[in-house]
Amino acid sequence: MSREEILSKVREAFVTILEHDNFKLADETTADDVDGWESVTHMMIITEVEKTFDIKFKLMDLMNMNNIADLLNTIESEL
Amino acid sequence: MEFVKKLQESIEKHSNHNVLCISNTFYTYKDFAIEVSKIRAEVARVVDDAEKLIGLVTNDDIQTYASIIALWLEGKAYVPVNPATPLERNSKVFELTETKYVIDSSKTSVYNDYEVISSHTIPETAISLEPKAVSGDDLAYILFTSGTTGLPKGVPITFDNVAGLVDAIEDEPEFNLVPSDRCLQMFELTFDFSVVTYLFPLLAGSCMYTIPKGAIKYFYIFKLIKEQKLTVLTMVPSIINYLRPYFPEINAPDVRYCSFGGGALHSDIAKEWSDCLPNCKIFNYYGPTEFTVYSGFYPYHKETHTKAHNGIIAIGTPQKNTLYLVVDENNQEVPVNVSGELCLAGPQITPGYWKNPKKNAQSFFTREENGKQVRYYKTGDLCFKDSAGDFLYVGRADFQVKIRGYRVELAEIEFHAKAKSDKKVNMVALDITNNLGNAELGLAIESEEFDTQKIFDHMKTQMPDYMIPMHVRFIKEFPHSINGKVNRKELKTYFDIK
Repeated sequence: MSREEILSKVREAFVTILEHDNFKLADETTADDVDGWESVTHMMIITEVEKTFDIKFKLMDLMNMNNIADLLNTIESEL
Repeated sequence: MEFVKKLQESIEKHSNHNVLCISNTFYTYKDFAIEVSKIRAEVARVVDDAEKLIGLVTNDDIQTYASIIALWLEGKAYVPVNPATPLERNSKVFELTETKYVIDSSKTSVYNDYEVISSHTIPETAISLEPKAVSGDDLAYILFTSGTTGLPKGVPITFDNVAGLVDAIEDEPEFNLVPSDRCLQMFELTFDFSVVTYLFPLLAGSCMYTIPKGAIKYFYIFKLIKEQKLTVLTMVPSIINYLRPYFPEINAPDVRYCSFGGGALHSDIAKEWSDCLPNCKIFNYYGPTEFTVYSGFYPYHKETHTKAHNGIIAIGTPQKNTLYLVVDENNQEVPVNVSGELCLAGPQITPGYWKNPKKNAQSFFTREENGKQVRYYKTGDLCFKDSAGDFLYVGRADFQVKIRGYRVELAEIEFHAKAKSDKKVNMVALDITNNLGNAELGLAIESEEFDTQKIFDHMKTQMPDYMIPMHVRFIKEFPHSINGKVNRKELKTYFDIK
């Protein structure tokens, strides 16, 4: 799967959980940049992404996940 | 004031130790002493003697922590406001406390209507930590919690109240911080739980580790446990609910104390969490803001101390000088094993809600005990005492709920939701438990579907983000109970959330 395809699926997961699509996702995007992306929804997004790609994140990966690039890198490494 | 004097002694004695770790930068007690001295000098220079209630913008930096101590050394109280909360609400707080001066370490301050003390630009002065004399009745801080009328409700806490808390914790042989301890400070400084997570480390010469604003708290906490080898954790139970799916990956042998408070601790998760911390004592603390953070605890142990009611761990016994009393609706004590409202008395009780005689008449009462008048605070929590003398939590007596550890009056959310709505329809705010066991807010609207953008835009200017409902459902007709009240329990079933 290409990085663009991964990003597009990640975006879908964000839209499903946040119930809006009023945001841009780029490598450097963090929770501060997206309305509604905070502690509670973060966990829901993570679960949604895990379902989408049929993967399971490790706590060690999650604790160092600071932006979208980190998320995409971790997904790539799990696929 | 003895505890302020002890703070001075601790800061001086531990000058080579680290006091704070903020976003991987360490600061020593010497750095801290310099910041405190600068800020208190500026406060003494600028602020009128009669001005006692000083605003404090709660940024995540050394100046903000130093400001609290600087104000105490000057015999003044801090009125904290969260920079992430709408300016309108924070201004309301300052209006209620008639605050004229605001200490703000932000690069540019938004508090243009006030005298701003920019705590990060004060020139260096000699270290001076000698406290001024204060009266025990003077205020140490005022915190504002959600109120039912749309106005935040102020809880003033005096120097004597804080002294009572310090005295009770120092008397507890099971809990002793040492200078080598590395302590989690996960709380926003507008939340009263933060008082124990900065005050006790400072008194002991230990180091505090903060959570950067905007970080995903529960993962950052795990990162600190793992990389910084924290030894003391003080948390709200919802944090471990989030980490629960990852418990098998957590083993933290360095943690020696883990204190919970600010919400119900469930026995199943307490047991599993305890497995992650093999060398740790777990305390289940209880206490409302009105009683200066803690009033007592239950010492949980997965094998020997597992007392619980409906799966919620006991809140144990009152701490030194604190009295617990369980009463019926006429404020009469109920027998052992009978549920009633828990009331608290002792040196940590607030003098009363800020300028709110009506609420004070409802929430406090006096009772004669051994020829003396004893003043009690009614917590709104339903509890009972068992025959062994332990207190057990049953539930809330009213519509106040806990969202991520914050107390929220559902009525306040309803008030703001209805305020700017074009459609005059009934709206009910509900706390809904998600599959992690945490409460999320839902808004039920008695109407055909319509666009709620305007309602939410308004709510976001009036309330902090944790008070904004995350789920909306339109229900054509609300279910009612026999006595004609909206059936909230049934309404919750409309919120099928993951």
